Amino acid sequence: MILLQVVVGGLLLGALYALFSSGLTLIWGMMNFINFAHGEFVMLGMYAALLAAAWIGGGPVVFGLTAALGLFFLGVVVYFALIREVMRGPMLAQILSTFGLALLLRYAAFWVFSPNFVTLPHPALAGTISLAGILLSIPQLVAGLAAAVLTIGMHLALTRTAVGSQLLAVAEDRNAAMLMGIRPDRMQALAWGLAAASAGIAGALMAISFPFSPAVGETFALTAFVVVTLGGFGSVPGAMLAGLIVGLIQALSAYWFGPIYKDVVVYGLFVALLWLRPQGLLGTA
Amino acid sequence: MTRWGWLPLAAALLAYPWAVAGSDSAAFLQDMGALVLLAAISAAAWNILGGYAGQISVGHAMFFGAGAYMPLLVYQHWQMPPLLGVPLGIAVSLVVALVVGFPTFRLSGHYFSMATIAVAELVRIVVGNWDFLGAAIGLQGPARARGWYDLIFRSAVPYYYIFLGVLALLLLVAWQVQRSRLGYYLRAVRAGERAARSLGVPVRRYKLYALMLSAGFTSLAGALYALKTGFVDPDSGLGILVSVQMIIIAALGGAGTLLGPLLGAMILVPLQTATNTWLGGSGSGLTYIVYGGVIMLIARFEPGGLLELWHRQVTARLARPGEVRHAA
Amino acid sequence: MLLSAEKVAKHFGSFRAVAGADLAVEEGEIVGLIGPNGAGKSTFFNCIAGDVAPTSGRVVFDGIDVTGAPAEAHARLGIGRTFQMPATFDDMTILDNVMVGAFLRHPRRGEARDRALEVVEMTGLKEQAGLRAGNLGTPGRKRLEIARVLAAGPRLMLLDEALAGLTPGEIQRAIELLRAIHALGITLVIVEHIMEVILSLTRRVLVFNQGHVIASGKPQDVVNDPAVIEAYLGRGHGGARR
Repeated sequence: MILLQVVVGGLLLGALYALFSSGLTLIWGMMNFINFAHGEFVMLGMYAALLAAAWIGGGPVVFGLTAALGLFFLGVVVYFALIREVMRGPMLAQILSTFGLALLLRYAAFWVFSPNFVTLPHPALAGTISLAGILLSIPQLVAGLAAAVLTIGMHLALTRTAVGSQLLAVAEDRNAAMLMGIRPDRMQALAWGLAAASAGIAGALMAISFPFSPAVGETFALTAFVVVTLGGFGSVPGAMLAGLIVGLIQALSAYWFGPIYKDVVVYGLFVALLWLRPQGLLGTA
Repeated sequence: MTRWGWLPLAAALLAYPWAVAGSDSAAFLQDMGALVLLAAISAAAWNILGGYAGQISVGHAMFFGAGAYMPLLVYQHWQMPPLLGVPLGIAVSLVVALVVGFPTFRLSGHYFSMATIAVAELVRIVVGNWDFLGAAIGLQGPARARGWYDLIFRSAVPYYYIFLGVLALLLLVAWQVQRSRLGYYLRAVRAGERAARSLGVPVRRYKLYALMLSAGFTSLAGALYALKTGFVDPDSGLGILVSVQMIIIAALGGAGTLLGPLLGAMILVPLQTATNTWLGGSGSGLTYIVYGGVIMLIARFEPGGLLELWHRQVTARLARPGEVRHAA
Repeated sequence: MLLSAEKVAKHFGSFRAVAGADLAVEEGEIVGLIGPNGAGKSTFFNCIAGDVAPTSGRVVFDGIDVTGAPAEAHARLGIGRTFQMPATFDDMTILDNVMVGAFLRHPRRGEARDRALEVVEMTGLKEQAGLRAGNLGTPGRKRLEIARVLAAGPRLMLLDEALAGLTPGEIQRAIELLRAIHALGITLVIVEHIMEVILSLTRRVLVFNQGHVIASGKPQDVVNDPAVIEAYLGRGHGGARR
């Protein structure tokens, strides 16, 4: 029974990984660009929830919306102020740019919020629920389910709506999209906004059940890399599946080997993947 | 730079400890001099791979850490002189370099960067939980010198000259690389792998050469750090900020140039010391806010670094008429 | 036979970029490859040069099967190529670009430099040799690509639209350069849209359309072939074949 509980807990966390990783993979698919500050976007989403809880109050919906709006705006600003130019530059500039951004955001958060771990005040959701004999924390259940719905929603929005297909058209062939009258610049800005917003919501949802500090971003960035690699670069459905797998592996290794091993196992998996299947589970070489 | 342009620079570096000896804060300035040289060595080692070959490693701390841990490990467990651990550290680095480089060099540049971060973090977490390697507390060197071979000095000046010697060796190697087929091929790989291949460059093999050379010297830098401070823990030896410092110094001075890393270290290390002093310790993280800002500014406005900026100023002045000549 | 490509095909998913094409080139020939945009010429080139592995078929160079071998192995054996979109090393000088090519047969710096200087002289890039390649316009880059390949000492050069975007005066000079290169004993296969170039340089032309070779022969004959006219001008102009 405990094992089943661990499995469900891992899948719920994995849904959150899937949500923020799909943002990272979307940008990779469109622009062949890895955002090294993606984990910091998740971290900022957590602090956005903290600020929302302090100033506005309300529950997860308010927190999530605050984080989504704030980070969407940040993502668009980052695109126009930094990425658009850097894209045309050498590889060094591409990698340095978001790397510098990550450092800046992480240590700015250190400075503003202090390096200590915090939790949201006045838990909006609390308690546990017993489902078919498994005890689940309500905040985790809500967060995980919301993340799953949002990730699937994002996938549907990309594949079923006009704007989504324009985004994918730019990802497929930039020049062809331009000939069709799509402006790649706007679409890429939108993608950065969406990616940052997905990271932000995921952060806000995790904030309702886990304590956090400015340093958590690095772990999330690495988790997202593993998920994106596992799911195949640029594939949102791949990220969904891989997010669940990574969450599950983490939960099981923490349960079997002890908490410190949960990251070791995941990073180890990443290294193994490099050797065996660098194109990802669902990807093609 | 002209043929003998480096001579004044070499003379200034040789004379520095002696020149500041009369100052009130001579010990502080000499120590900072040694730190500048050490940072320059790490950055110049990173530069072989990240600068010349354009493969941006964000995990060079693992090589630095291997170099820093091994000397202290042989002392801690077997009371051997730390110096004996230096080749061991280099050997470990080369093995790790092969393990990471071989699979990742098949794929694009971003992938290599991601892989290096992940492996470096993996190494940091494992070492931080491994009692044999001191776990979270780290390792210590001998408290007092048992003989010359422990390389323990009260003053920073002997370290300064040891570091200067290693830096000179490294720059000589880098200069030879730059002029040789290896250097040309690496720059071709950075500029365009597909075109490089079409001209007969075995791209993956040359990237591996660059990685091995770079990892070996980074490991040596780590060893020098451990010999000087006599102490290493997971953060100081393997933390991501160790890698970040190498990258930012090389990029600030000029990635892919011979003297860029030294220039970057001469600017950034004193700046870091100053921000730590003025802004109240490194704990507040303000130094890294500045770091992050500097990195972004370089990436956005001057990816070639300060030397590129200078180079452009000079060539613009020399070749103003007909600068954009079109050849047929 | 210097080069023979047999039934070479390259599929991207369900799209057949090259659907079984043959090409045989004798040492010392200049062969032209023409066809409308998207006909698969560049992909065919990429298969021959080892840039992509063909899905099926065989490429034999000078008696050695090179199918699926990496591009650098092709270069070492003596197959040189230029790119449709010039891929010069933009932050290196023109001389250094050419030296990268020269290092293939001359591992020592001094010799590579001497060889590169000769090539730069021959290709008319001597004046700009110290400039960064990024400063060149498209015609200059195309010339630099030719120089770079030449320095690598090829026996066969594959030129992918090396003359596109040039002014008529530049085209004349480029044709002279290609003649000079041919006079060194190097075999040439050229993809080109400019008929003037094809007519003045080649004795034999292959016409590509939709991944197939649809015609081959003397350039004068080929341009009058109804299938070729149809391929270029679309259905309805050259009769209703296929």
